[in-house]
Amino acid sequence: MSYESKVMTMREAVKKYIHDGDHIALGGFVTNKKPYAAVHEIIRQGIKDLYLEGGPGGGDTDMLIGAGCVKVLFNSYMANSGFTQVSRRFRKYVEEGKILWEDYSLDVQPMMYHAAALGLPYVAVKNMLGSSLVDKWGIPEEVYKSDPKLPAFKLKVEQNPFNPDEKVCLLPTPKIDVGIIHVQQAAPDGTCRIDGPIFLDTDVAMAATHCIVTCEQIVHPDELRAEPWRNQLPNVIPDAVVEVPHGAHPSQCTNYYDYDAMYLRMYDKVSADDELFEEFLNEWIRSTKDHNEYLDKLGASRLLELKVKNGFNYVPGLKRR
Amino acid sequence: MSEYTSSQMMAVAMARQVKDGSTIIVGTGLPLVAASLAKNSTAPNVRLCFETGMIDGGPIEVPTSVSDMRISYNASSLWPQYYYFGFQANAYKKKTIDIGFLGGAQIDAYGNLNSTCIGDYWHPKTRFTGSGGANGIATNCNTVIMMKHQKRRFCEKVDYLTSPGWIDGPDGRKKTGLPEVGPQAVVTELGIMRFDELTKRMYLAEYFPGITPQQIQDNTGFEMDLSRAVEADPPSQEILDILLKKVDPQRLMV
Repeated sequence: MSYESKVMTMREAVKKYIHDGDHIALGGFVTNKKPYAAVHEIIRQGIKDLYLEGGPGGGDTDMLIGAGCVKVLFNSYMANSGFTQVSRRFRKYVEEGKILWEDYSLDVQPMMYHAAALGLPYVAVKNMLGSSLVDKWGIPEEVYKSDPKLPAFKLKVEQNPFNPDEKVCLLPTPKIDVGIIHVQQAAPDGTCRIDGPIFLDTDVAMAATHCIVTCEQIVHPDELRAEPWRNQLPNVIPDAVVEVPHGAHPSQCTNYYDYDAMYLRMYDKVSADDELFEEFLNEWIRSTKDHNEYLDKLGASRLLELKVKNGFNYVPGLKRR
Repeated sequence: MSEYTSSQMMAVAMARQVKDGSTIIVGTGLPLVAASLAKNSTAPNVRLCFETGMIDGGPIEVPTSVSDMRISYNASSLWPQYYYFGFQANAYKKKTIDIGFLGGAQIDAYGNLNSTCIGDYWHPKTRFTGSGGANGIATNCNTVIMMKHQKRRFCEKVDYLTSPGWIDGPDGRKKTGLPEVGPQAVVTELGIMRFDELTKRMYLAEYFPGITPQQIQDNTGFEMDLSRAVEADPPSQEILDILLKKVDPQRLMV
């Protein structure tokens, strides 16, 4: 049997699906399975004015902000926890008012993605009631009203129509143009197998109009179709399949590699300073023409040291400071 | 007498709040170390759950974040995140979660927490991560809070209310529409605070060895009842050994 192929290069996928002013969401969680190879390519192509769903963001979202790619950030958390307690470019851009941002909690925001994945118009939650997340809106009311990429307003607190004694917080589901996730295995037709935690990945993939899947390896569809119950996304969801081994570096990838703690420490240092950060972008991202050159720069022995040990799914005793 | 640092005392005091066999929600940093310490000592059957959907993990190395694969070691299940939302939202009805651990930059007398910013929200002096999972934990669970004890952090009014405590008193949560759970204790490097049954205001319950109740009041930006305070036991050498040799030998957190 033959299958269609959605395989393309990282450059082609970003060029085809991500445009200035798009609303995008990234999979992974803080320092785990973040789609860094795609983030690097977005920076290389100099894409601007993104509406970025930060969700459980880390260095990936921070890097996009620092590279000037982001206009509006939807945030509930941003840190390379354990290495950087508050992402430093994010912090600077918010403190200096260089981007627009909105705050949610890191259970409501994933529910907004889940609702978008299910095609629901809004979600009703108890979370955020009684907090400043309800009263203080990061994005001014007039911007909500005038920007067609945004809902009419942040949220609304109402009575539950089925139980008038109960208050609920209603939030609109986001209209995401492109979702990007990194998985372990994908077939050219788009069938995906995710090992380890799924986090928000399937929701991010399904919530968006277009979905880019980056993967550790492309495998034959028959390999994944022999056990379809182990696949998290069917071929009908992804638009692009890109093979980028170590594509989540410096974050973790179950069954493949641990986070690169010393790289995360380096990022902590460079992201604290405007000039060092520019040098970092130029050295590691803009002057590497693609992901392979980035890997060459990291070097084989460094990557091999991060390979997870059987039975652990991390590197026991990894150098972390 | 054993030698120990204030953050080690804090971790030990936090671990003491964990009952064996209970289910707790854990965030990053020192709370995670405290939870691991409890699991490796007095509460081997505690179930550690994380907002990432990683449930009942048994980390044998210090995880740096709630998504660290070190947490998934020996875990019962790795849920997609939306199931965690439901697990937490149903917890107060089903009593499936005993305690959630939280931290923050500011706290008021009713245990309302700020982990978003210092100063004006739109022009912050210092911006932090934002809620993370904290707001949901504070909404749905009884909590134990870990804080640095400084006057500017223990304040009359938080600059931004990220995670609700008892709001403004005994009926604060009800009138706001929140489930009637809330903060149970605040652990700092100086002592342990609890909340009065009737007023829901913070009072001093325990002060650590070498610290006086007056010192704690001096580091608190609101009036606190000191009359019920007792001195806490120092950590034993045995528990310090577990903390420093087993739980965090690389000294990532303590």
